[in-house]
Amino acid sequence: MAGKTPSEKRLHKELISLVKEPPPGMVVDVDQAEQNLNVWTINMQGAEGTLYDGEQFQLQFKFGTSYPFESPEVTFVGQNIPVHPHVYSNGHICLSILTDDWSPALSVQSVCLSIISMLSSCKEKKRPPDNSFYIKTCNKNPKKTKWWYHDDKV
Amino acid sequence: MATTSNESDSSRKNTDNRENDNKDEQNNMFECNICLDYAKDAVVSVCGHLFCWPCLHQWLETRSSRQVCPVCKAVISKDKVIPIYGRGNTKQEDPRNKVPPRPAGQRTEPDANTGFPGFNFGDGGFHLSFGIGAFPFGFLTSFNFSDRHGVPVGGQLPQDDHYLSKLFLWIAVIFIIWLLLA
Ligand SMILES: [Zn+2]
Ligand SMILES: [Zn+2]
Repeated sequence: MAGKTPSEKRLHKELISLVKEPPPGMVVDVDQAEQNLNVWTINMQGAEGTLYDGEQFQLQFKFGTSYPFESPEVTFVGQNIPVHPHVYSNGHICLSILTDDWSPALSVQSVCLSIISMLSSCKEKKRPPDNSFYIKTCNKNPKKTKWWYHDDKV
Repeated sequence: MATTSNESDSSRKNTDNRENDNKDEQNNMFECNICLDYAKDAVVSVCGHLFCWPCLHQWLETRSSRQVCPVCKAVISKDKVIPIYGRGNTKQEDPRNKVPPRPAGQRTEPDANTGFPGFNFGDGGFHLSFGIGAFPFGFLTSFNFSDRHGVPVGGQLPQDDHYLSKLFLWIAVIFIIWLLLA
């Protein structure tokens, strides 16, 4: 492979800007991303003054070859999965920009910011009502789930 | 794929980095909103957002049923983008044969094509209004999904969607027959 594919080129640009100007409380694992540009792990701190203050989370991004035309697969991974009405205990996240409302003008950075603001606006820490059913039946890839997005502002 | 070019990637990264430092401040404005690179074969949408034509074209193909601006979600289409012709921009080395030529500058009449008014699987949750005459079937949609976010596809309920749409179809048929008989 002589040149980089458009998708790799764009991921590189995103990685550089994420390292240079990370959103507050977020650190991308650069070594891992450079090893394999298609899987990134981002360490995320619960924002100060919110229910998740002091907590540490890990977000995993997986990019397909048609990124950014197709959304990345984004899940929480690791020990601490945030307890939130839109986050299943297997790390899957119910967030419309990750499927239907994805746009190629979005980026890893903007997805991270959306997720942190989703957490920050949470009023009560609880799992989605259908959590146990969902995690038993879902596909490993959250993009295979047909999500019905709620308009509640949780 | 990416792993095969690790070494060169990281060396390239340094040069990219320096390039970006110089470029960032002045030329951000002329970067394509999709590939984040300097826009090639630039086009601008009627809402004012800049893209490379190949990038925008690929996006329009990807979401051919719902063509919206990647930046502001305004409705866009191939006929409504404006090519930008800069000075001295005569490079003829476009290898992307698959991409059709950039649309020419033109004037188009407004076109009010917004798809199905009754079906909306948009941001605000699951709305399906199924009305005939003055008698909408709104109540039918409230019987499920009220507290469920995700329905696994390919799990235990792969037929759910099919089943639902069939159900609606049958209800519609029965209702029409009833209307005819009444
Ligand atoms: Zn582009
Ligand atoms: Zn726009």
